[in-house]
Amino acid sequence: MKKYLLPFLFLLSLSVSAQEVGLSPRRKWFLPDHLKLQFAGNIGFLSGGPGYVSRNMTLETDLLIGFLPQKFGGDALVSTTLKTTYSPWRISLKDSYYIRPFSIGAYMSYTFGPQFDTKWPSYYPSGYYWWATSIRPGAFIGGKAGRHVVLNNRRRSMEFYYELGTYDLLIVSYIQNKGFLKINDIVSLSLGLKFGFD
Amino acid sequence: MKNILRWTIPGLAFLFASCDSLFQYNPNEETLLDREKDLTAKNIARISQLPVADTTRFILMGDTQRWYDECEDFVKSANQQKNISFVLHAGDISDFGLTQEFKWVNEIMLRLKYPYVTVIGNHDIVANGSATYRKMFGPLNYTFAFGRDRFIFINTNSREYAFDGSVPDIGWLKAQLADNPEQKNTIVVAHVPPFDADFDKELEKPYTEALAGDPTVKFSLYGHQHRFHDGEIYDDGVHYYLTTSMGARGYMVVSTWKGGYKVERVEF
Repeated sequence: MKKYLLPFLFLLSLSVSAQEVGLSPRRKWFLPDHLKLQFAGNIGFLSGGPGYVSRNMTLETDLLIGFLPQKFGGDALVSTTLKTTYSPWRISLKDSYYIRPFSIGAYMSYTFGPQFDTKWPSYYPSGYYWWATSIRPGAFIGGKAGRHVVLNNRRRSMEFYYELGTYDLLIVSYIQNKGFLKINDIVSLSLGLKFGFD
Repeated sequence: MKNILRWTIPGLAFLFASCDSLFQYNPNEETLLDREKDLTAKNIARISQLPVADTTRFILMGDTQRWYDECEDFVKSANQQKNISFVLHAGDISDFGLTQEFKWVNEIMLRLKYPYVTVIGNHDIVANGSATYRKMFGPLNYTFAFGRDRFIFINTNSREYAFDGSVPDIGWLKAQLADNPEQKNTIVVAHVPPFDADFDKELEKPYTEALAGDPTVKFSLYGHQHRFHDGEIYDDGVHYYLTTSMGARGYMVVSTWKGGYKVERVEF
């Protein structure tokens, strides 16, 4: 576990320093627009990292590093995920609160470890196993609620989001076994926080 | 806002109640409940409590991989059989080596009226599969005895180990065959049969000769090829039986008695 913790903390510190730089009046284009921290969702027990948002604020793309401690997962797993979320509608509420009632998105997650393959070794005939064990594509729907705040004279936003997601191997299993499997057998919940540098 | 809360809170409460694994952290996580651990030892303990009749009847089935609906039908069919003591799963419990799949199959197999024991298949070794198999079922090679019969379960999935000569473990197999003071009928159970391309070619002869060299070995049981097949493949006195997959909706009923045995194919 220790060997994974250090690089994880290093990445976190990178994101933190990025955040500090982000406080300067005119942020550089390459600095992230937000940071996210997520619980569950098949990309780690906790995952976090920077992301960007489109000009109209509906499309977010994040790069997340996830970690699953052995205590919660039976095996310590580190993964990295590229995730994109589209939240087309925004409803403003009182006191600078707002909700984005519907989000839909997809991700690709890579789990590190010698037991996982991206390209199967040559001692397998081609097509012997049709999926890669290291890369999992997934999809989700969800929603968000947030508030615009002013911190140190800077416009910021805090958002809470939830997602209901699944991934390719579970979808394939469900499609072929609609008698035994129910949709809630393949869908799981994730919760997250977003800190935006608006 | 209030309206939204009125719907989301009961909605979330419903979700919390209905999903058995509401939060998932990684497809390769190995999270098991205590009742999902050490199933081989637990089920052997149950089998050893069963009465021994003149004839022992058990079921050989396998390759449940991603055929849950069919596996449910298998359980219904198997529960109709008479005088069955236990069920042998010939491997490929899972398709992707995911813990979730092992749990689903176990959930279905628990509806059997009989205890079941397993041997590991090649798909069960993929990704974190073999680690999960060890936790959920137990050792990859093991034996147990019931009545006049003695079962040797051995991992024969050589390709998953890059044909490195370690699988199947011939030394272990020979030691188990030799350790038979009561001269019980020995039944070797594995996933990949020795004449399959996924079995180490270098070990095919040592393996089949070890079986043929033991007079207590009359027949041996396998899965993997998703078809019924049987024959005295090596003309050495050992009859090899392959059961088909759940997808092909078949299994075998094996009966053994003093001095004889019978294997029947069943389709459901």
